[in-house]
Amino acid sequence: MMPELPKKKVGIVACSGEEMAEGTVTRLAALRVLEQIRPDETVTICLPLFLAGGEGDRAFARFYPTVAVDGCRQRCAARATERYSGKPAASVVVTELMTDDAGLGTARYLNASGLQVTEATAEAIAVHVDQLLGEKASRRKGDLLQRTVVSGLDLLQAQVEEAVQATCSCGSGIPVLTMSIGDRRETLIAVPTIFDQFYERGKRPHLSGVADELLQNTRLYNPIPDGETSAYRVALLREFESYCRKRAT
Amino acid sequence: MSKHRRVIVIPCSGIGKTYGTVGREAAYSLVEDLRPAHTEVVALSLLVLGDGDTRAQVQGAPVIAIDGCKLACASKMVAESGGRVAYEANVLDTFRRNRALRPKGISQLNPDGQALAHRLAEELAEATDRIAIDEGLS
Repeated sequence: MMPELPKKKVGIVACSGEEMAEGTVTRLAALRVLEQIRPDETVTICLPLFLAGGEGDRAFARFYPTVAVDGCRQRCAARATERYSGKPAASVVVTELMTDDAGLGTARYLNASGLQVTEATAEAIAVHVDQLLGEKASRRKGDLLQRTVVSGLDLLQAQVEEAVQATCSCGSGIPVLTMSIGDRRETLIAVPTIFDQFYERGKRPHLSGVADELLQNTRLYNPIPDGETSAYRVALLREFESYCRKRAT
Repeated sequence: MSKHRRVIVIPCSGIGKTYGTVGREAAYSLVEDLRPAHTEVVALSLLVLGDGDTRAQVQGAPVIAIDGCKLACASKMVAESGGRVAYEANVLDTFRRNRALRPKGISQLNPDGQALAHRLAEELAEATDRIAIDEGLS
């Protein structure tokens, strides 16, 4: 049994570099994907939440395969995501997509060249999203191209007209549980949801096989070394007992 | 005290909510239109990464932090970087003081969103003036 966690989506983390036009490109390109190109397949989070947020926020890149979108070679989004959350599955750097030396405008107002680069960046992100979700077939059928080729000027117009807005995961909806494994504390993602579903299906800690099932489901979302499965099984069963007592009262 | 320091302005990187965009637009309005001589924007992502130059920059100047939600990423990151938040603005507070406005949009703010950003920018300009006097900025 696999827990019915939220549909698999791709996380997009933009550097958003507020002092440079390239940073604005990352943000607008990410929003273009989130709001228009792949609204049902993508989610985002503000980069600073990896430090300022909670464990659920830091679990973002462990839960979602993530595309880091950076404005320059400092690659703040990719490096910070890897350092504080999890290694991004793919990376896009705006300066590597620029084909000429034309300026992009300012951080506040992109010019026509900036809008074109924004579009190219959004398309590059969408390609990674499709690859990560295994949706190459739709691209071969032309569906992707038909949906994404929009001129730079159309871009802003569409953004104004369309009511769809990006959803962010700040104050994250990713369920996590911090628990003792042997003599250390570990934060495991998805475990609260697994507990919910076990309980609602009548599974209880004393029933045969429940401990192994808990371990098996938890491993779907968390790396558990083979040599530590016993310690995790004990800890998960203990936490599930605690959970069941609370639910019963 | 240096006579040529500027007030560092750090808006949050809010990407999924209207208030993040309002805060960012207010920052640009302050730095480009209202107080260009006394202020400059620094990217929050550089602080998240722990960039040495950026940390030194916020440690050596007064900072205006602008947050778009209660999680207050900008303020927290300045503090964690050893900087001093001279003025902490939250778009939600400005919104509460201007409830007639109905800001919408993320990529592009609607007119009410732009108006809210302008109100916030004016608050920030006043704060900048106070900081400039207190800090002896030229």
